[in-house]
Amino acid sequence: MPDTNCMFYPPRLATRQTRLVVIGGLLSTLGLITTFSANAADAEPAFDRALFAYDSDIPEVLTTTRLRQPKTRVPGSTTVITGDQIRDLGIVNLYEVFRLVPGMVVNFVGSHQPVVTYHGTVHYEQRRMQVLVDGRTAHRATLSDMDWETMPVPLELIERIEVARGPNSAAYGINAFLGTINIITRDPEDTAGTELSFSHGSRDHLRAFGSVGGAGRDLDWRLSYEKRKFGGFDYQIKGGEEAPFNDGHNINFFSYDGRFKLNPDLNIELMTGVIDGVKNQDRGKSGVLEPVDHPDIDVRDYYIKSQLNYSTSEHHFFHFLVSVSNFKRQERYGVELGGAAADCLRNTGGPTLYEEDASGDAPCQARTEGETLLEAQINGDYEDTRLEVEFQDTLLFTDNLKLVSGAGFRKDTLRSETYFNGRVHDYKSRFFGNLEYTPWSWLTLNAGGNWERSSTTDEDYFSPRLATNFIINQHHALRFVYSEAVRTPDSFEQNPRTGFTLTNVRPAQYADLEGRRITIEDAAHSPFQLTLGEELEEERITSHEISYFGQFPLETAILSVEVRGFKDEMRDMVSGVIQLVNWTLGNNVAVDQKGFEVETTLEFPGTALRASYGYLDQDTRYTGPPILDESGNVDTREQDYQAGLLTRMSVRHSGSLSVIQELPSEFKVSSAFYWADEFLRTNNQFERLDLRLAKSFLQPNYTAEVAFTVQHYLNREHELSSDNNIEDHNQFFIEAGVRF
Amino acid sequence: MKPGKIGFLSVVMVAVFLIWPMTTLAQSKSETAQTVYFVSSGNLTLDKYFTDLVSENLGPEFKLKPLPKRLPPAKRNHPIITMGPKAFERTYRNTPDAVVVGTFVDREFMDKYATEQNPHISAIYYDVPLLRQALTGKVILPQADKVAILASYVNRDSYDELIEQLPAYGLEGKVFVVTDKDQLIPTVIRALSYGDFILGTSDHDIYHPRNIKHILLTAYRRNKILIGPSQAFVKAGAIASSYAPFSSIAEKTAQYILYYRENANFPAAAYPDSYKVDLNEQVARSLNIPLPERPHVSEAVNELLKNNSRGSIQ
Repeated sequence: MPDTNCMFYPPRLATRQTRLVVIGGLLSTLGLITTFSANAADAEPAFDRALFAYDSDIPEVLTTTRLRQPKTRVPGSTTVITGDQIRDLGIVNLYEVFRLVPGMVVNFVGSHQPVVTYHGTVHYEQRRMQVLVDGRTAHRATLSDMDWETMPVPLELIERIEVARGPNSAAYGINAFLGTINIITRDPEDTAGTELSFSHGSRDHLRAFGSVGGAGRDLDWRLSYEKRKFGGFDYQIKGGEEAPFNDGHNINFFSYDGRFKLNPDLNIELMTGVIDGVKNQDRGKSGVLEPVDHPDIDVRDYYIKSQLNYSTSEHHFFHFLVSVSNFKRQERYGVELGGAAADCLRNTGGPTLYEEDASGDAPCQARTEGETLLEAQINGDYEDTRLEVEFQDTLLFTDNLKLVSGAGFRKDTLRSETYFNGRVHDYKSRFFGNLEYTPWSWLTLNAGGNWERSSTTDEDYFSPRLATNFIINQHHALRFVYSEAVRTPDSFEQNPRTGFTLTNVRPAQYADLEGRRITIEDAAHSPFQLTLGEELEEERITSHEISYFGQFPLETAILSVEVRGFKDEMRDMVSGVIQLVNWTLGNNVAVDQKGFEVETTLEFPGTALRASYGYLDQDTRYTGPPILDESGNVDTREQDYQAGLLTRMSVRHSGSLSVIQELPSEFKVSSAFYWADEFLRTNNQFERLDLRLAKSFLQPNYTAEVAFTVQHYLNREHELSSDNNIEDHNQFFIEAGVRF
Repeated sequence: MKPGKIGFLSVVMVAVFLIWPMTTLAQSKSETAQTVYFVSSGNLTLDKYFTDLVSENLGPEFKLKPLPKRLPPAKRNHPIITMGPKAFERTYRNTPDAVVVGTFVDREFMDKYATEQNPHISAIYYDVPLLRQALTGKVILPQADKVAILASYVNRDSYDELIEQLPAYGLEGKVFVVTDKDQLIPTVIRALSYGDFILGTSDHDIYHPRNIKHILLTAYRRNKILIGPSQAFVKAGAIASSYAPFSSIAEKTAQYILYYRENANFPAAAYPDSYKVDLNEQVARSLNIPLPERPHVSEAVNELLKNNSRGSIQ
């Protein structure tokens, strides 16, 4: 019998002492086994798939490769605004979402052209933030600008918007200078079914949206259409009088999004869209020379993006993205010139069109009563085509060691007789990588960098980022981030060849000017201050961030707090004016800034409170070569003006407060207060209070909602331009939608 | 005889004298040990693990044996433990008069057998009471107050009782009916717009391997979570699920066998007495949801149930 084998121990062991040892050992072993068994019985064995008879075929869906990085491990402060928040707060336009982001300011220039900025450094062009829509670059690097009103992103399709605050070139390339906006639209799988919505409101606001889609084993797809119509500001001031403002828009957007699932590890996304419409431009704000018509812009954009996603294993996946975006704008209008101007154009050695003499008069602009004016057509047409290719590989060595690396290439082609006197090509290529390492549960280290070469400067740049996150109890993180970034000037800034060609010139006495191209040199009001031909260098930023993110679970609520302190040094900033009558760009401003930002949410059952605040202390100074006036003296006023251009939208205090409250019977009320105090240039402030009441109808087969929103402007003083006026402090909007 | 031989024989005799009655006694006990049959789940690891746990709880007076192909009529009063719905169904079909306690079966499944009217049939439910799962969600998301439930058309009325219970715990629930398979995702989307989390159920038309990927990915993209419906779904990506540990099911099963021996009938089918919570910490971290410790979640759920006068979910 096996359990009597102890009787057959070899004689040499069978001593009394040895027996005692053996017995003692056996007892100890038995004791241990007993204790272990008892413990094992107390503690249920860990989940073992083999123990399950019925659920064992449930696949693991949310694998490590599919999970997003938790905020405690993110190398920097990021604000996430969800699509539901946007809709619940009754936000009417995409660009208004960014008022919820600490440190961000939204305002308007020109003919109701929205400008979104993080920490200012903007006057017209939005040069220093990267904007992506589903990984496709939306920031138009060739003209260093954004066109928010024609962005192909219906509010209904926004899943979430992630704003990485601070330089992020290490991940997104050289345009992610001050921050990165990443708009993520809803996956086509998540919009299966039909959705229709409609809203109408003040200032001729009208929005209609419809989408239809399906989700299947092999294909998820969505077709959508959106119409956006808006009247812009109510009036402008001309000669002290209120005058109509031609600054609305009427945009139509069609899109198709699909995902072809070839197998569980391989899929191909296809996204394509067409944008068509008109952006009204007021002749007092836009256009050159003396427009007789409003220089409205005809918009004909399209894009197509395809992305292949492949997971080779649970720990390794990559994507390969190819996209083409085309922006085609037609801007054609009539102009008038006086006889003196025509003579100046004929006499190339004389004064320029807008040049002023010692008395402040512009001789070429002189007109005599009853003279026959030159009438002609000009255009500001351009077509901007971008080809983008990106490969990104993610390798998870372990749960605590992750490497994201990749390469990208971009070709921008800009065709415009007016702005480029033909066509221009820009090329950018880059390699990037980020290693995330969590040696202990309380520490995450991130080291990333981006090497990029740009044909606009024919140089290459390296932008590093280092971050250390100290994680306490998985709910709190203290981050220390150091980053450097560059922004290269765009083709237009670097190599302006602007010239407006007169066509259809009439009457016959001016026929000799048919086809005459009016360049900056022909039109400049201060030719001696032009910086044409000067080569621009890259802008540089060095940024330090200390931030804290924490979550506090309360008895019936959860409180989240993120505080970011920053100190940035920006050098060789490009400032100056880009106009036909003036071109004064140069790497001539330095900016030192510091401040802090707070973002906090408190969620109770049925109640969501959110607050954001940004404080900015910005010091901007002119550092370029002395600007001389006509007499050769240093023009300090012009130097201050150039430095001041970058502070137009720098705001000392800004923030938002919002509450979303569920009420009985499927009612929901929300309110948001947005403010931006002390625009550094005007000392004025933006303050608005929104209130929205919504009623949902949750039926077994459909969900519908009707809502009413009031926007109340508390402050009537203009922030940037005295022409941006609305008649009524209160703006009203109604909306209705159904999903089935 | 030599004195040595006498001594040896004496020792043998004493040994025989002492050992024989003990062996006989043991043999007699073995013969009188009551046989309890079990029907396999089809998963041998599970069978072995679970029957060992039941044996431990029953003690040496019971012996667990696999159910023979043909059960002699004389042994039809021996209790049979079936593991899983297939095992129960097969046993019931083959021997409708057998004494059966079903384990690893859902309440919904057992409802078909009207166990209250047949004292020889009972069950220990494997599914977790939905109220307990809903409160698991509430403990994880204390700010939650809306529970979305996906239901197939045939089960659309199965949650009325739960929806009536929820307000006592500061929750409200709504059922979103999936009328056909093409309507699954549109319905999930509407459910996610309403609820702070989706409460998984044992509705197999919805929660099966083909669908779970769509449900979990859609919910995850919307930063919403799924609770349950079982531990296997936590592995798949649900944030949490309460579950009855095997020891708890085995203990209750043993109680039923003992009760039957005393009373010749079973208590009504019931849920096990204690539950634990399984959490998917990776998913929680990724969604920035601070998770309490596992024991705290189950204790907090027990506390909620205990403190509420309407807390009985058994």
